[in-house]
Amino acid sequence: MRHLHERLLEIADDELVLGWRNSEWTGIAPFLEEDVAFSSIAQNEIGHARALYQLVARELGTTADELALDRQPGEYRCAPLVELRLVDDWAKTIARHWLYEAADWIRLAALRRGGDEDLAGLAAKIDREEAYHRMHADMWFARLRDEARFQEAVDELWPSALGVVDPELRAELAALVGRPEVPAVERDAHTDALRELWDEMTMVRRSEPAGAQW
Amino acid sequence: MEPREQAFLEYVQGGGQVESGDWMPDDYRAKLIKFIEMHGNSELMGVLPEREWILRAPTLQRKLALTAKVQDEVGHAQLIYRVVEDLGKPREQCLEDLISGRAKFHNVFHYPTKTWGDVGVIAWLVDAAAIISQKALLKCSYAPYARIMKKICWEESFHILHGRDVVLTLMNGSDAQRELVQEALDRWWGPLMQFHGNPIRAEEDPMYVWRIKSQGNEDARQQFLDGYVPQIWELGLTVPDANLRKDEKTGVWHYTEPDWDELRSVVTGHGPRSQERLDFRRLARENSAWVRQTVLAEAA
Repeated sequence: MRHLHERLLEIADDELVLGWRNSEWTGIAPFLEEDVAFSSIAQNEIGHARALYQLVARELGTTADELALDRQPGEYRCAPLVELRLVDDWAKTIARHWLYEAADWIRLAALRRGGDEDLAGLAAKIDREEAYHRMHADMWFARLRDEARFQEAVDELWPSALGVVDPELRAELAALVGRPEVPAVERDAHTDALRELWDEMTMVRRSEPAGAQW
Repeated sequence: MEPREQAFLEYVQGGGQVESGDWMPDDYRAKLIKFIEMHGNSELMGVLPEREWILRAPTLQRKLALTAKVQDEVGHAQLIYRVVEDLGKPREQCLEDLISGRAKFHNVFHYPTKTWGDVGVIAWLVDAAAIISQKALLKCSYAPYARIMKKICWEESFHILHGRDVVLTLMNGSDAQRELVQEALDRWWGPLMQFHGNPIRAEEDPMYVWRIKSQGNEDARQQFLDGYVPQIWELGLTVPDANLRKDEKTGVWHYTEPDWDELRSVVTGHGPRSQERLDFRRLARENSAWVRQTVLAEAA
């Protein structure tokens, strides 16, 4: 059994990195309305990451910013699904969005059932916003489900989506999205995209010694 | 001028406001579309210099604030294009004219954003210059435009606070951080001084004649200088213009004549980042054309 703070960091890192990736659509989505929507989703995800980092930071005697931005790329616990740079590919972006929201729903439900009261409360709070992300993802799924490029994107990303949830939850995820359970791409298989993202997301912060104010 | 048009002119010059369903002269409608469309284009193109830095924001709070700010700008574009649509020009046409280079956008969005210092200076001073123009539009003779300006000004005032906070934090930091701000100010001062346009007499400015704008260009620039130069000095920054001073007797700011040739050249698509940004938007639009087709086919 992993330590609780490792599990929280997995979720926080997923939300942080996906939030960072979704914010890349700002200004260039297919519709202005989607610019605004993806930006809101990105802000929610980063807000969730911050709340989770704060919980872990209290335990480890550090800060949310240090956890989010001062670790080395290999120390992040995010799943490969969220690392991929998909900007300019709307089919894959929506495929990831839809699969991730499904996985996240199952994961949050498991946290709410778990014994930790603080964590169950936070999971319920996060889920209130995620419900809107799911509505958004479902709307786009309905629009794109008959498009070959969307179906291919879902096929390609499905093993990575399974890697977002713990093994005991994978059958539930497979049933939810109506796909067979296949070998998952696990969290330890970081992609090159994470390294590139890390270089960019920490470049300003790294330009000054640790502890600088920004 | 026909009597009906003359009466309309006198009405707007007397402070009267017009609704979208009211009769209006063709010239007034055309000027409104041109002016408001350029505003929408500017909000949308204004996203691009800052979006590069959304990924590089150095703390979670800055990341959230910058993402929200840029989201506001897209939201403003959405609102403003709706007003243009009511006047007879569809959003898709505005976007086509923008990427083909037929339509203009504000000079400040043609320049590169080189450092995190630029992010602070843009949010603080470019948005400050913009809010001065936008506050004057609260009195625009076209009422639907004036109404959305309330929300826009409200949001822009938060952007200024965010920008000022970024700048203030850097100025209280290391020498290198202070240098980031000074260098950014040096880069942006010229474009900021050009921002409100050449000092044409208000009575000769057709946008003022129709009371689309409610103040002259020089009035706006003086307001900007009066509101912000003292703050810039207070932070220990140097404005890169040796001639800048306020005449305490008249209250008028004197400054080196801005480079109007540069302004003309930049807004006609010859700025340092004009073509790159338009290419970027064009490419994004081409890449997502299939999405719009799919959605529109489904809606049909």
